[in-house]
Amino acid sequence: MVFNSLTFVVFFTCVLALHSLPLPWTVRKINLLVASYLFYAAWNPPFVILLWISTVVDWWAAKKLVSVQGANARRAWMLLSVVANLGMLAYFKYGEFLMENFAALMAGLGVAWQPPQLDIVLPVGISFYTFATMSYTLDVYLRRAAPARNFLDYALFVTFFPHLVAGPILRPTELVPQFESPRRADANQLCFGLALMTIGLFQKVVLADGFLAGPVEKVYDGAKIPGVLDAWVATLAFGGQIFCDFAGYSTTAIGAAMCLGFAMPDNFRFPYAAIGFSDFWRRWHITLSAWLRDYLYIPLGGNRHGPARTYFALLATMLLGGLWHGASWTFVVWGGLHGSYLAGERFLRARYAHLRPSAAQAFALGVLTFLLVHVAWVFFRAHTFGGAWRVLAGMFAANAGAVPVLPAIEIVTTVIIVTGIVAAHAFMRARTLESVLATVPAPVLSGAWALLAFAIVIEQGSGNAFIYFQF
Amino acid sequence: MSSADSGMSERVDEREPVRPGFVRLTASDRPGVAQPVPVRDIPPRPWPRIFASAMLILLVAVGAWEWRMRAEGLEAGDIDDGPSAWAEQRRRVDAGEANVVLVGDSRMLFDSDLDRYEALTGVRPIQLAIAGSNARPFLVELAEHSPFAGLVIVGIAHTTFFGPDAGLGRGALERYRFESPSVRASFQLHRALSHAFAFLDDRFRLSRLVHFLDDDWRDGVRIGTAERLWKLGVTGDDRQTWLWPRIETDVRLRDHQRAAWGLGAGRKPPPIAQAAIATAQRELHDAVATIRARGGEVVFLRPPSDPRFRMFEEQQMPRAQAWDALLAAGGVMGLHSDDDPVMHALVPPEYSHLSRACATVYTDAYVRALALRTPRVALRPGAPPALVPADCGMPPADLALRGSKSKD
Repeated sequence: MVFNSLTFVVFFTCVLALHSLPLPWTVRKINLLVASYLFYAAWNPPFVILLWISTVVDWWAAKKLVSVQGANARRAWMLLSVVANLGMLAYFKYGEFLMENFAALMAGLGVAWQPPQLDIVLPVGISFYTFATMSYTLDVYLRRAAPARNFLDYALFVTFFPHLVAGPILRPTELVPQFESPRRADANQLCFGLALMTIGLFQKVVLADGFLAGPVEKVYDGAKIPGVLDAWVATLAFGGQIFCDFAGYSTTAIGAAMCLGFAMPDNFRFPYAAIGFSDFWRRWHITLSAWLRDYLYIPLGGNRHGPARTYFALLATMLLGGLWHGASWTFVVWGGLHGSYLAGERFLRARYAHLRPSAAQAFALGVLTFLLVHVAWVFFRAHTFGGAWRVLAGMFAANAGAVPVLPAIEIVTTVIIVTGIVAAHAFMRARTLESVLATVPAPVLSGAWALLAFAIVIEQGSGNAFIYFQF
Repeated sequence: MSSADSGMSERVDEREPVRPGFVRLTASDRPGVAQPVPVRDIPPRPWPRIFASAMLILLVAVGAWEWRMRAEGLEAGDIDDGPSAWAEQRRRVDAGEANVVLVGDSRMLFDSDLDRYEALTGVRPIQLAIAGSNARPFLVELAEHSPFAGLVIVGIAHTTFFGPDAGLGRGALERYRFESPSVRASFQLHRALSHAFAFLDDRFRLSRLVHFLDDDWRDGVRIGTAERLWKLGVTGDDRQTWLWPRIETDVRLRDHQRAAWGLGAGRKPPPIAQAAIATAQRELHDAVATIRARGGEVVFLRPPSDPRFRMFEEQQMPRAQAWDALLAAGGVMGLHSDDDPVMHALVPPEYSHLSRACATVYTDAYVRALALRTPRVALRPGAPPALVPADCGMPPADLALRGSKSKD
């Protein structure tokens, strides 16, 4: 089920009504758990089994991690959890990719081998909930946290529908304690949660799907060769689309959880105002970048073993982070580019540690960050390297046979929206939404809220899945 | 669960000073530790009052929008045809709910009156034609993946049958093969709302209305036919689809629609490759054989088009190579509108699709013609008398159920 669907409107209304009934807390938690399974099953019922497997394996692994003695035994239970989760991920997400690459490798060695046609269907959100459940066992293994006191709270942590299929990727310590005592939103929480959901759905339905997806598809999926203007507009549109799509989902999820009385962490902090790439990754998909840092980068050595090891850890983390987004070498290149950006930035920071950029220099660095992030988006969006080179060549005026692709109206709307997004990020760079809203007069808030909701209603939307569902 | 930082087995030196200016920390500020329960502050504003005011404004705005859209000619009950509506009808075939199925492109969709067909024969066909599609993949799918053993009436617009794939109908086949419970429920909810709100129309979405402002502003970019079209059809619950009445009555819209077909001087239709023709003929032959083996039958229709469109179509592929050769290859019977005086006299207002009243007349004509040629179609006793082209000028509302009142 997607948030921008009529089914979700009915579903969420029912869940809110059930959650507000004067029932025992355990019963209300069971309601939430059942609702979350329904939320997931509404996409493809059989795949709920995978969710159960992931839930049960990690529950038992964490229990054993506490009860067994000896480092080897603990490591074995931790590995069981990691292998089970990554095994599911490997089969469903990377099965065909691995087969194809193995076949290509064999062909390179002169062995003709045809991979079997697997026709694997990717379970929606598997990358998100496997990471969430793995963080549970890994936190217990690393003794950062104790296991949940009861299975219901733990199962609800894994399955809680606002974050289940596209994050934010929650840690057990962030959510499980919230299930220990009764929670119900008060009127302010409920209304502010609905306001957040409106903002999120506006980003998704109106900006991402309504206005930005079209120019992206025309250039990236079309047959025409784009020139400088079309290639840049389409790439800027994609930068705006993926932000509005994913940040919109996260904001809607945070709002939905708030309506039920729960708090979820920020997943985006106005990333297009980032100055430098380490700043960007502290603002973009925060819960994933923090997960990769805590469970991959730091175990790989982090910055504790000298520069060479640090650069290796950075690149390896970002390459795997790229692969997490999809079973394609284009995602690996996207991750590799960001790894290179981060490594380059780290090198320059070390070399010019004494320099303090002026406001103008900071602005220029911000623009450079924005442009390089968008160069990397080309590999993220293009389905093939050929397609990526075609757009990149367009961006750098190297397409000989370029023809106009985008209608003027799409260029105009893209420029207006992307400029608006960047200006808003620049203004909000060191602020929170809440701190700004606290200063806005109530009538203005009412008008703005009604305007966003009206735009959602008349855009209608067609229930397009969020881009990150495929990851 | 409790945080257990002090018991961490690995020491982490990734800590950095908290960045200045951030009033709410995130996981990015806390490396290598258990993340605490997030705290979300609520801005100190009167949110219930703000919510109530916003909903009131929204209600008024949506009411005004609904009024405006009805003034534009949108009507409640138009369910906005799409993949889910098609998949629903396709499942009716699997359930054996009818023994006549209509397959084809937009002309078959717009030009067939299911009420008239039912009034004449007592059978209400299942409408599986899709605008912008190619009938062939749907016919093949019906042959290979259904037990259907009735009559398939295939409508084609000259060369659409030779296309490489299902065209705009691709999504419908995918939706039929897998439709999630959520999507199916959303479709039912959307349909229910569509019976109350006229503004729920994909062609009148905010972004599309904005895009309509562009009248080929940029040199070298011609907006595609599908994007250029305003609303073309009105669709009922079982995909009974009519030409949108405003296309008939609004000269500006009609001219816009005519221009969208791109029949202007100098535009040459692309030729059809011989390989595509051979593939289409082979697939048709095999599909017909499969359906006949089950006891079914396939017939073809070629709905009328304006003489200007007709000339364009002939330039692309002469009838002898397209229609005649196709029927011969499939061994099927067909009714070409050029061969029937009633059908030939029907002129689509926007060159390609018949008006609502004319669709009733056309359906009357082809059902009667089929009844003469195949035992699969039989007029029921008490069927209404035949209609004539002049009935295209009659009010369409109840034309489907009665005979001609025209004087000619």
